[in-house]
Amino acid sequence: MSRIAADIKYFGIGYLRSKTGAFFAFFFPILLILLFGAIFTATPTKLNLPVQNLDDGPYSQALISILNGTGLVNVQEVPANEDIATYIQNHSLAMALLIPQDFTKDIIARQSGNGTGLVNLTLYGDPSQSTFGTANAAVNAAVTVLNFNLTSTSPLVSYGLKSPGTKPFSYIDFFVPGVVGITVMTNSLYSMTSICASYKSRGYFKLLATTKIKKYEWLVSKFVFYSLLLYASLFVTFAIGKAAFNIEATLTPLSLLLIPAGAFLFVSLGMLLGVVIKDPESGAAISNVIGFPMMFLSGSFWPIDSMPMYMQAIARAMPLTYFNEGLRDTMVYGNTGGSMLNLSVVVLIGIVFFVLASKLMSWKE
Amino acid sequence: MPNVLIDVQGLSKHYPPNVKAVDDITFQIKAGRIFSMLGPNGAGKTTTVEILEGLRNPTSGKATIFDVDVTRDYSKLRDKVGILPQNFEPFDNLKPNEAVQYWAGLYDMKATASRVNSLLAQVGLSERKSVISRKLSGGEKRKLGIALSLINEPEVLFLDEPTTGLDPKARRDLWKLIEEIRAKGTTVFLTTHYLDEAEKLADDVAIMNKGKIVARGSPQELITKYGKMTVIVITGAGEEALKEIKRRGIEATVENGDVLVPVKDPVEMRVIFQKISGIELKAKDIYTRRQSLEDVFLNLVGAKMDEGVLSP
Repeated sequence: MSRIAADIKYFGIGYLRSKTGAFFAFFFPILLILLFGAIFTATPTKLNLPVQNLDDGPYSQALISILNGTGLVNVQEVPANEDIATYIQNHSLAMALLIPQDFTKDIIARQSGNGTGLVNLTLYGDPSQSTFGTANAAVNAAVTVLNFNLTSTSPLVSYGLKSPGTKPFSYIDFFVPGVVGITVMTNSLYSMTSICASYKSRGYFKLLATTKIKKYEWLVSKFVFYSLLLYASLFVTFAIGKAAFNIEATLTPLSLLLIPAGAFLFVSLGMLLGVVIKDPESGAAISNVIGFPMMFLSGSFWPIDSMPMYMQAIARAMPLTYFNEGLRDTMVYGNTGGSMLNLSVVVLIGIVFFVLASKLMSWKE
Repeated sequence: MPNVLIDVQGLSKHYPPNVKAVDDITFQIKAGRIFSMLGPNGAGKTTTVEILEGLRNPTSGKATIFDVDVTRDYSKLRDKVGILPQNFEPFDNLKPNEAVQYWAGLYDMKATASRVNSLLAQVGLSERKSVISRKLSGGEKRKLGIALSLINEPEVLFLDEPTTGLDPKARRDLWKLIEEIRAKGTTVFLTTHYLDEAEKLADDVAIMNKGKIVARGSPQELITKYGKMTVIVITGAGEEALKEIKRRGIEATVENGDVLVPVKDPVEMRVIFQKISGIELKAKDIYTRRQSLEDVFLNLVGAKMDEGVLSP
């Protein structure tokens, strides 16, 4: 026990004195929370929608008025004498709306039964741009309202938005468990892989083998240290998320159980990788090959359901997925059963990695 | 304490397909002495030491320390053995006093402040005890390594090339420290490829080459047995002088323009000088040089050794 305590204490001192260790434990998750929080929780600003109105009638004016009233866009006038395609190109616009000549006249003709077909507007733009979706929604809504007004009818069906939990959750609440997941993985996996590689190349494992500490005691010491470190990291990250963005996700007892379980899993995986790694350089490469895809595909930043099916299958093979989902289940959705199931998966995979690492890792020859 | 402390019998370590890192070596080391295993890189020194430290299993043979089989029962020796591995680097972000406390913890020992201070004072690191280890000089890092190896007050200390890569002053400092450790009764097993180091420190030397021990004895015994005792050096005399000297029946060689005349028996010295004095030499200087382990090594291995690398 005293050997484990000594190893935790002095390994911890050394780790926290290293700039990399402190960065990944504290600054990295704080940075992620602040950046993503600032991006996704800020009140959305109105989008500027350039509109070229070639019509001089009241209905085009009514449409512009409705567009401005959606709260999504600010209509900006494009001079009528410009060619709209050239104008879009010259001004690098993501979108622009063209109201054609005789828009009002054609609507009146349709109302009086003299016209045929629909009176068309044209929305120019690049659908791959995220802002195009907003513009499209605004134009769609304005056209619908104008149609109701012109036909003197009113909508019968509507819908409202509601969070699945008891509290209204936002993206930042979804994101916090993801940040915790990334922090647990990077600190445990990356640093254990690098530690194993550096201990091998510097002969520390041989040196340790000549002392009284046992291999399993050293492994336990690392698990305990990373659990404590990640608790500290979690509390700091959570406090900042709460203070800066008033996050609604909560720290539940299950989430506190998941932290050491995650540390156990990724410390064991790091040690297992350390078995095959010969030097620090290949250690960094291998941990990146494993960790980098896991960071992006395990639902840390966006829901797994939004990914293509084959990517979802890959995500299901990644242990971080179960850790993230376990945290999200308990911290956001209050789904204790789901969280327990994910916790069990995390512990089970951790045990497999730990046993393999203990068996395969040799401090000696 | 038994007189023979380390006993190695027919020890071999082979690696596939056909590498004999250690090839059937036998030696014994008595307590309280500095034993030096001397040899070039790849001679098998570290492999031998690591077998004795319980870090490698031999292919065949047996090694015991205090009659304990190192392959089977090394755990019984942990309290008695201290180890400084080759190319020791301390933990970068710990200070020397923290490193000593850490190491004490790994030996189930309580390192009091006075024990830590006294250990660091012994190795000459008192004033650097609160400096982050990565900022220590090469010599200071090795001293810290020796402090760690002494934490359990070992009766046997293995030092695997402790001065490799250090500057001359740091080497001399470590030599002094090693002599002090021996003076306290600790048996020191020192591997080195520095001939002057072995000659200066060791009571007992084993010269190792290609996995075998090629000579064994005290530095003086080795010089007597394998050296040519004394050499008369006629500096800058060149090939012409060599011809003249040889014409008078004196064995001699030329090395870098200097004529070297080996004197196997001190009695011959006077006769040789008389013969040489009759020659008109264009020499810068004439002096006698006692042969060293370097010459012994050259005679035995047939090559010189520089920083552990053999050269013809």
